[in-house]
Amino acid sequence: MNIINSSRRNFIKTSGALALGTTLPISLVELAFADTTENFTFAYISDAHIQHISGTRFVRNWDQGLKRAVAEANLLTPKPDFVMFGGDLAQLGSKPELDHGAEIISALSHKVHYVMGEHDYYLDLGAYWEKLFGPQYHSFDHKGVHFIVLNSIRTYDDWTYKRWPTAEQRMSEMAGLDNPNGSPFMVGDEQRKWLKADLDKVAKTTPIVVFSHSPLQKIYKGWNFWTEDAEQIQALLKPFAKVSVIYGHVHQIQYNQIGNISFNSVMATAWPWPYPSTYAQAEQYLPKLTVPMNRADPFQERDATGWQFINVASGRVDLNFTLYNNSERSVIFNPKAKHPEDRAYQAESSRIPPQSHY
Amino acid sequence: MQYVWLILLASLSAALRADETKQPPAANPPPQSGIVDANHLLGLPPVPIPPDNSQTPAKIALGDKLFHDKRFSIDGTVSCSNCHDNKKGFTDNLPVSVGNKSLTGTRNAPTLINAAFYKSQFWDGREPSLEAQSKGPFVNPVEGGLANHQPILDIVRADAEYQKAFKDVFGVADQKVTMDHVSKAIASFERTLVAGNSPFDRFYFKGDKTALNEQQRRGFKLFLEQGRCVSCHIIEQNQALFTDSQFHNIGIGINAVQQGITPLVQAFLDAKSKGGDVDKIVLTDKKSSELGRFAVSDAVADIGAFKTPTLRNIALTAPYMHDGSLKTLKEVVVHYNNGGVTPAGAKVNDFLSGGIRPLNLTDAQIDDLVAFMQALTSAQYAQPTAAAAQ
Amino acid sequence: MTNKKLTQSMLMVAVLGSLAWATARADEFSAADTERWQQQFMDSVKQGRELWTSPTLGSNGVVCAQCHPNAANTHPETYPKFQKQIGKVIPLWEMINWCLRNPLEGQPLAADDPKMVAIQAYVTYERRGVKLEPGKH
Repeated sequence: MNIINSSRRNFIKTSGALALGTTLPISLVELAFADTTENFTFAYISDAHIQHISGTRFVRNWDQGLKRAVAEANLLTPKPDFVMFGGDLAQLGSKPELDHGAEIISALSHKVHYVMGEHDYYLDLGAYWEKLFGPQYHSFDHKGVHFIVLNSIRTYDDWTYKRWPTAEQRMSEMAGLDNPNGSPFMVGDEQRKWLKADLDKVAKTTPIVVFSHSPLQKIYKGWNFWTEDAEQIQALLKPFAKVSVIYGHVHQIQYNQIGNISFNSVMATAWPWPYPSTYAQAEQYLPKLTVPMNRADPFQERDATGWQFINVASGRVDLNFTLYNNSERSVIFNPKAKHPEDRAYQAESSRIPPQSHY
Repeated sequence: MQYVWLILLASLSAALRADETKQPPAANPPPQSGIVDANHLLGLPPVPIPPDNSQTPAKIALGDKLFHDKRFSIDGTVSCSNCHDNKKGFTDNLPVSVGNKSLTGTRNAPTLINAAFYKSQFWDGREPSLEAQSKGPFVNPVEGGLANHQPILDIVRADAEYQKAFKDVFGVADQKVTMDHVSKAIASFERTLVAGNSPFDRFYFKGDKTALNEQQRRGFKLFLEQGRCVSCHIIEQNQALFTDSQFHNIGIGINAVQQGITPLVQAFLDAKSKGGDVDKIVLTDKKSSELGRFAVSDAVADIGAFKTPTLRNIALTAPYMHDGSLKTLKEVVVHYNNGGVTPAGAKVNDFLSGGIRPLNLTDAQIDDLVAFMQALTSAQYAQPTAAAAQ
Repeated sequence: MTNKKLTQSMLMVAVLGSLAWATARADEFSAADTERWQQQFMDSVKQGRELWTSPTLGSNGVVCAQCHPNAANTHPETYPKFQKQIGKVIPLWEMINWCLRNPLEGQPLAADDPKMVAIQAYVTYERRGVKLEPGKH
């Protein structure tokens, strides 16, 4: 990812001072100053999957992924307003994993907000997580945008409380993406009630950004690219003018528009996942809009992993992905078409061979 | 085929010549017996020749002359051959090169042998071609030291031999002779500096089982498997360039700037946005030099990343790495075995390329890998005692 | 025909008849046979699935299923193929060994190791029905 936009550099040379009051060129994406909502940037790091082996040994590959994202996020120019961590900090939710992950993240020189993932939750149902990072769901406001953090990886109470003899086994069953013993993700009654009450206090014209781990859509149930009560959440968000959902969990680029809601996934720092279409034995639905990421080269360990910075412009989100040894990808909200689009590859004729997955 | 022979012979004689500007290029030198081998390209793909700069014997001879001309420097002491010496594997066997007025830079001179195959030139790939690369060192403060290329043009336009040569090769004279012509000729000459036909090539592509001894064969297996070297030092089924022409951070030099990386990056970008020249900055400022490919691409993914050099003839080109900091091949393998740090136990830098990790090689295995790398020396450059073979 | 010759030929017929009874013809197999053989294959697939999620293949706890849920993105139908950074045309099992050595930091398996066979059985089973495209990158 470039932290400099060279075409911006020409713009700067000819026009003198920059709107943001810095002598350094700014990061990608023309910021639209169309309305009174202030424009700003935040970074998003997700799906670190810190995995404990034994003693002080952790899986080096995943460790390096998170360390690198943190080091690079610290170089972002201009500085982001805050950083989101998108969930799955640990692999099996253990204290050593959460501690080790928290330690690596502590090197970030920005404020961090946290979203929970299933790999963080199912060992102790979030008890240690809350001690380290705060509430599992909450909301906050920033520069005229209302941000909501949901814990969207809950599931049926039966499965959570009665099915498994030990917490460890419950965690390990949920840890397998393709495990037939798993159970579909959901936000659940309690949070939906809370969400409704929270939204009641927000003006319909206020831009809303929802952070969740699972997609708040129904993409592929077999791998829990799924939220069981997606329609109900979407219905609660329907009355608002500008809504964006940003989710992790899928370890790949996905984006979609359902009515007034834009959906964007983020990359993982640990490893990429295949697109559901590459599983030949099941039917699934990948949003038609999505231009897939370039295929992972298994020989380059960091390929198809990464992090992203997100520009909020006029209450819409534009994602800029870092892809190691790869061309840049940006998914920008197109105000004319009213949905997110890949900046370079959206048109069928612009696709390149590495984007065909099989 | 005759034509190819002429080019090969011309280039070989040029490569072996001792002196530069005083001798006229040999028109039809005799073949050196026992060195020129019809298979000297064994293991290599065809040399890429750009459509606007075809090879001709006269152009190559002109390029050879320009390559060795010390007048193209501020104090008359520096030519390309200073740092790319045909007697030293077309490098200079120094950690960093020495230019005009004995000034030193920050980077190790890469060998020119097989440089024609790279997809970009310089350790950070800042020039896309041999032609473009050749113009840089003349005007770098610690290399040729010229303020601009004008003195070179003055010489080649006035010198009788050069006048004739440029007229013959390009059909240009006087003001029509430009740096483009100069660089094309030099690049042409450099495109003849290609060589395969090492013991490895004979073993792998010609099926000569005796070409590698047992230790080297063990080393080859490690190269492909536990050592994982082949991930970036590419070998294919019918050719081997030993480089992927990509940029990777393998943990050399970066630790010196890891602590202050944020202000360094900001200062560098600031200088660049104010019109700073990357070529000058990276060779004169050691800290900026460690930014590697980032200095060219501005991409954080490239911090501390340098181009994978070819391993062909590596036994001749010590010391190693972009800063010449590793003196022997054994030190190089140990660095990789440590997981991309020297000394062992040093902090791993945050921007380390994926794929670099501790290899758990034994001492004997490290020696095996070194032995294998010594089998990558092309027959025509093989010397009784290679410069830093260990 | 003489009596002797008649007896001989009847004996011949009897012998041949009994031989025919004792040796089955080469292309005979029953539904029960194929069901049994298919079950033995599925046992191998089952073992392959267990290995797919087993931390015993590597030394760092990583399992195949982490990057390849349901063996997706392994495209067994494209092998043998030229694998860029192995540097030559290889069959599927050599690629599996690359994964065992590298992301799993484990030991490679021999081609005829029942575990390697089981892994291949699982991978191809999850990809059944997809047409062959050997060499496809």
